[in-house]
Amino acid sequence: MNEEMTWIVQAQNGSDEAYTHLVEAYQTPVYNLCYRMLGEPEAAEDAAQETFLKTYQNLTRYDRGRPFATWLLAIAAHHCIDRLRRKRFISFSIDEDDEAQMELPDRAAPDPETETVRRQEQVYLHRLLQSLNPTDRAALVLRYWHDCSEIEIAQALSLTVPAVKSRLHRARRELAKLWEVEAPRARTERRPYESPAF
Amino acid sequence: MNHQPFEVWMFADQALTFEQKRQLQAHLRICSQCAALAEVSLALHSAKVVAPASGFADRFQVRLAAQRKTQRQRNFWGFLILVLSGLGVLLWLTWPVLGMVVNSPAKILSAWLSFLLAFWFSIQALAEAGTVLWRVMPALIPPHIWALITFVFTGWSLLWVLSIWKFARIPQGV
Repeated sequence: MNEEMTWIVQAQNGSDEAYTHLVEAYQTPVYNLCYRMLGEPEAAEDAAQETFLKTYQNLTRYDRGRPFATWLLAIAAHHCIDRLRRKRFISFSIDEDDEAQMELPDRAAPDPETETVRRQEQVYLHRLLQSLNPTDRAALVLRYWHDCSEIEIAQALSLTVPAVKSRLHRARRELAKLWEVEAPRARTERRPYESPAF
Repeated sequence: MNHQPFEVWMFADQALTFEQKRQLQAHLRICSQCAALAEVSLALHSAKVVAPASGFADRFQVRLAAQRKTQRQRNFWGFLILVLSGLGVLLWLTWPVLGMVVNSPAKILSAWLSFLLAFWFSIQALAEAGTVLWRVMPALIPPHIWALITFVFTGWSLLWVLSIWKFARIPQGV
């Protein structure tokens, strides 16, 4: 039995200390998912805390044959989707939020200009994510921020694998459409066909 | 303009061949839609994970303690309301017989005996009526009605079993 499973078993038996180890281990992925889903640091903190409370209450239902991280992220994703559906009016200010969450450019990086452009792109990407449908957004965040496979995303979001593929495809197209309009500065400074990735 | 297979190549998990890369780069130079998609792909692949402010686990502990306190209070008030309501209902139900408490034990005993006897005679009368009906009914109802009743009950039972089977099934996998 690995360390994580030991913590899970102890937490299932009511050990707060063991559960705190799990919180410490998974706080970043859960918070990141909530932040990407909700767009605001305060809402993300609240949602991440609620996710851990909900998970602790339902820990006895956890199926040990399934990865704990996927189960936890599934609860977080559903919590955020519910929250977004309940939210009627979204007052979202990207500038404030990104200032709060963004790191300053690394002056020691080999190319500070490229680093600044990359950070700008991340700001755009974060803003554009908020315009997607909550389930599409969750699929995209699980795929690219948490490296989940299509099968894992399907399990997490209670979808079929073809539905996940279709949602990812639609979300990327939607982002690209918005990207063309919303990120002109980054586009002039970066040519994807010159990137070694392609 | 045809964007296939470039869209597939951009999001493929496996590495592209030299020829595929060359074709893709040539397409990206002339297609703004795919260029935007490629930029999104690059941005998504270099996406950074954001960490919460320090002390997250400590804040969780505080929240957990607060939630437990609220839960305890809720449980206490819930239990109190339940007990008081139960007592109220019990008082309301026993109110007419509470007066008997002041009566002598012999009176209470005779009242209970008469109640039990009345109950026993009622049961006997009902049983006799049932027996008479059981003897008379088959003669009164024609055989085709009996067949119809049997058919309806069988159909109803089948429907009931099928419904239970259908709704009790748990979907497996995705």
